[in-house]
Amino acid sequence: MAKKIDISTKVQQGEPVGVIAAQSIGEPGTQMILKTFHFAGIAATITTSGLPRIVELLDAKKIPTTPFSSIYLMDEAKKDFVKADQIAKKINEVRVNDISRRILENFSNGKIRIVLDKQALEAVDLTPSQVAARISKAYELDAAATPEGNVEISTHTKVLKDIRSISVKLMHALVSGVAGAGKAVVTQSKTTGEFYIESAGSNIELMLPIDGIDKAKIYTNDVFEMYKVLGIEAARNVLAKELKETFDGQGININERHVLLVADAMTSRGHIESIGRHGLVGSKESVFARAAFEETVKHLINAAAFGETDFMRGVTENILVGKQIPLGTGVVKLAVKKQDVEKKSKK
Amino acid sequence: MAKKISEKCYIHLNGRAIGHVADPLAFVSEVRSARRKGAISGEVNIAYMSRLNVIHINTDRGRVRKPYIIVEDGKSKLTKELLDKLQKKEIEFNYLIRAGALEFLDAEEEENALVAISESDITPKTTHLEVDPTMIFGLTINTAPYPESNNLARHLMFASYIKQAQGLYATNFNLRFDSRAYILFYPQAPLITTTAYETLKFSNHASGQNFVIALSTQYGYNKQDAVVVSKGAVDRGLGRSMFYKTYSDEERRYPGGQKDVFKMPPATTDGYLGEHAYAKLSDDGIIEPELDVEEGDVLVGKVAPPRFLEENLGAGGLEEKTRDDSIVVKPGEKGVVDRVIFTESPGATKIVKVRVRGIRVPEVGDKFGSRHGQKGVISQVVPNEDMPFTESGIVPDLLLNPHGIPGRMTFGHLLETLSAKAASLKGSKIDGTAFAQTGKERMDDYTKILEAYGFDKHGEEQLYDGVTGRPFKAKIFTGIVYYNRLYHMVSNKMQVRSRGSVQILTHQPTEGKARQGGLRFGEMERDVLVAYGASLLLKERMLDQSDKWPVLICNDCGSFGYRDYAKKLNVCPLCGGSNLTEVEISYAFKLLLDEIRSLHIRPRIGLNE
Repeated sequence: MAKKIDISTKVQQGEPVGVIAAQSIGEPGTQMILKTFHFAGIAATITTSGLPRIVELLDAKKIPTTPFSSIYLMDEAKKDFVKADQIAKKINEVRVNDISRRILENFSNGKIRIVLDKQALEAVDLTPSQVAARISKAYELDAAATPEGNVEISTHTKVLKDIRSISVKLMHALVSGVAGAGKAVVTQSKTTGEFYIESAGSNIELMLPIDGIDKAKIYTNDVFEMYKVLGIEAARNVLAKELKETFDGQGININERHVLLVADAMTSRGHIESIGRHGLVGSKESVFARAAFEETVKHLINAAAFGETDFMRGVTENILVGKQIPLGTGVVKLAVKKQDVEKKSKK
Repeated sequence: MAKKISEKCYIHLNGRAIGHVADPLAFVSEVRSARRKGAISGEVNIAYMSRLNVIHINTDRGRVRKPYIIVEDGKSKLTKELLDKLQKKEIEFNYLIRAGALEFLDAEEEENALVAISESDITPKTTHLEVDPTMIFGLTINTAPYPESNNLARHLMFASYIKQAQGLYATNFNLRFDSRAYILFYPQAPLITTTAYETLKFSNHASGQNFVIALSTQYGYNKQDAVVVSKGAVDRGLGRSMFYKTYSDEERRYPGGQKDVFKMPPATTDGYLGEHAYAKLSDDGIIEPELDVEEGDVLVGKVAPPRFLEENLGAGGLEEKTRDDSIVVKPGEKGVVDRVIFTESPGATKIVKVRVRGIRVPEVGDKFGSRHGQKGVISQVVPNEDMPFTESGIVPDLLLNPHGIPGRMTFGHLLETLSAKAASLKGSKIDGTAFAQTGKERMDDYTKILEAYGFDKHGEEQLYDGVTGRPFKAKIFTGIVYYNRLYHMVSNKMQVRSRGSVQILTHQPTEGKARQGGLRFGEMERDVLVAYGASLLLKERMLDQSDKWPVLICNDCGSFGYRDYAKKLNVCPLCGGSNLTEVEISYAFKLLLDEIRSLHIRPRIGLNE
């Protein structure tokens, strides 16, 4: 029985799945609202949603507006909040700006003093000497903790411009955590009760080597990062998942197959392509199909300059000239042609 | 420094800064009291913008202003004595302004006012009182009954429907030559009126009729916004109207001394429409009144000089060529010539206006609207004997679907149904002005009247199916509602095309009713056929029924060729060969290739098989 259904629901030869996917996504897509309302919650959970997110994904934007990653943990840590929190602290991105009140530059002796915010420092489990050690290691500067609990840096220069440029660099210096990871917070799963880490940024390349995290389950909504670190198949999965979840979030139910087709099309050439004139449509084989979409003149001029040939294999170009389209009933051709029969009968 | 400037309250007179004051509130109240005393003009409005710490004084023209009753210390200045005097006509409205009981506020000063809607709403902070609670609605909405019982969005819809209502738009309509005019045959004053309606004397030129309605479904024929109408009622003149259309033409003069001439065009004119088209014209080439005309008939025969001059040059003694420029009745239109007038333009050229009239009997597709933003389109005209009827033999004029009421929250519609029924029994109009009575008072009044005349107090009646004669299982809410016939009528919009004219440039069918056009089979419609895989149907739409064009294509060099009928040969003008194949392509594609060729780019077509 199951087999019967399976066969009957299979797509047939010549079925225009692309157009059906486009219509199935496009029609309910018109109901999507541009601005979405957010609910109060942790800062890390606010991500772009609705139409802007869909546009971002289909345009294959290099950096998402709101990058976000979920880091799942291995055996012990996922049941123990304290252990999970330790890992989260390794990830949580802390820069000098986040833990300092002000940066004082002393141009007469060439020293820079970072006045630390003790509360902020405590919150991220750091000591002034750790901060100093980190700065001196990363920037090859003489940094030391002062008795008052601040950090002082000797620049060994008295050139005003150099001191200022160092202090500006220091403001954004990474003190602990993974660059680009953003705020990492331990969260408890509502379904399994296990702990995992959510972070308002993503850099899974640097997160993966950290001990105690589940390398197989790490997730980011950054499609390009997924492609870079884990490959095109992972990127395709993320793309499909993000699209589907964005539609679901808007209360729009679209069959997964349509979304998967879009994700497949965007990744089928081994790299991520957008849907539009810079991506899929712009790389169509047919000159006429490209010219009919956008930048008509550009495509016609290039076709003329390079002597391109249109093989009339697509839909658009065949409608343009008035031929039967090679889809649906148009894929069926006679195996034996009339002339061949005549030729044979003559022999 | 910066702080000191903002401490000063600047005064803008008609948008121009003229000075500043230290205490803005005291200044504003001083100006206002001076205005109320009559020391300064009542047309001065002053407003203090507390957020910007600025005073705006406006005395210029073009401001919309509205009268309010002044309230001081929680008491209305329009006292009982003043009201009594006003009623006895001892004083007039302007006296109240001079007496400081009323004042006009503009949009800016309204921002400073706290207005109570009725006297009971006055609090110590109140500064003004509405002249009447109905003032919260506009004039148009106040002509509708029970607006306080309806959803706000429905008021706006009523306001737009009433503009489209056919009625008696002008009593001299018979003398007017409006390009389009609609006159209702039997306009009625509504059974439920309002103060605003009576003040406007709207019933002197009413735009609707009182329809007997039943909130009942009719075999599903009135689903959504469809309504079922009784043919009996339509035959008796319900909603019947006259449509007037004026065709006008002028004997234009052209540079070079040529001019148009109104006359019976001779058969030699360019574009002569054939003898039968001019058959109804009199000798002067203009139609006579009271003649039946239909599409293709000429109303005014006009002969114009040729569009381009060269045709006449060099042909000295020959007769001057002329072009037929007659007015023809547009496709799909018909009627009777009502009136013909001759007049003169400022440039002393002759003008003819022909007014054609036609009766518009309500038919399937015509639009109606009640005064509660409830529109309806006739879906069926049911013979009188097949309509449901009440025990007393009343047949409703219109059957409205009850599902249209709850979602739209037009309770006023139900209230009107009930009260108009009471009014018709009582034999006098009932007042439906907003806030005039409470809902309970109204219901008590209406139910009393209905019971007194032996009807169900809630307006429900036992109805019998006109087709089967059986009683309906449920009692049905029946009453009277005032309906407007709106000017969207199928007979003025309907259009069909099977074959017809095409555009010159693209060879594709024309668009629009005036050009006998087709309905565009656009990109999205095309996608639907693609998605279905109906490749041959798609080809039929896009090519065979559109801009199919046979071309000869050279098998050797791929360029367009032609047929030399003298030599009975196909010729390729580029390579000189005669090995060509005829193919059908879309004219739009041929045009594209032509344009590309004109850019000195040579497209070549290769053919398979």
